[in-house]
Amino acid sequence: MTQEITFWVLAVIAVLGALVAVRRRNLIHGVFALMIFFASLSGLFLLLLAEFIAAVQILVYIGAVGILLLFAIMLTERVTGDDARRVTSRGWFWGLVATIVIFVYLLLPAIQEANLPETAQPIKPSVEALGKKLMNPYVVTLEVLALLLTAALIGAVAAAQGARENKEEQSDDS
Amino acid sequence: MTLEHYLILSALLFCIGLLGALTRRNAVVVLFSIEIMLNAANLNFIAFWRFSSNPEALHGPLFTLFTIAVAAAEVAVGLALIIAVYRHFKTVDLEQLDTLKEE
Repeated sequence: MTQEITFWVLAVIAVLGALVAVRRRNLIHGVFALMIFFASLSGLFLLLLAEFIAAVQILVYIGAVGILLLFAIMLTERVTGDDARRVTSRGWFWGLVATIVIFVYLLLPAIQEANLPETAQPIKPSVEALGKKLMNPYVVTLEVLALLLTAALIGAVAAAQGARENKEEQSDDS
Repeated sequence: MTLEHYLILSALLFCIGLLGALTRRNAVVVLFSIEIMLNAANLNFIAFWRFSSNPEALHGPLFTLFTIAVAAAEVAVGLALIIAVYRHFKTVDLEQLDTLKEE
């Protein structure tokens, strides 16, 4: 019973958070709604007994991605966006139609027709086993992932830096 | 709670993310819509793992860990690209970034 109440509360918070994040005109408010969405998803992971993933979700998404998005917004557009310009793109209607069609005709029937297992088995805390798995069969994946993260970091710095150099060259020419 | 509840919730979240990615003009909002979609997929992985017949194998959490790492890399590179685009065009409005159209 408690589980069901927790699930419904977290589900409603997640859906509302995602909706506000996607629809809000003020981008800073949007990012904070997105952080609430990430937090409620972390709660859902806890409800599914994936405690390590819940912690990682908070660390990576709320701690890193949220702050990164905040900085990106402050570095780019006017923050409040209170002008009269439209928030949505020109083809927004077809985007809405495509979304509804995908949800009603693709995802829902797929879920309802699938032969899903009904009951969850009791499981033990999984953090220790997770660490051992990462070391024994999945160590190559872990290393490749580390390499990818390093490459992404260097790539991000290079992409953000290179644009500034181009601009300086242009201003020198003119 | 049954697996179906989690799957429907995650499908709903995925569609909200898709809606944002398809209908917003600001590139940053499109990026965080993509994050919402990735998170919905993560919820699916964890839910399927919890209800699977062999949860000891830990496929769900492992896959989710890898997805989160790739998503973090994607956000870093995506934001760097958005900042580079902003420095060049002075806007992140996706409707104004239509140089290839040649009007």
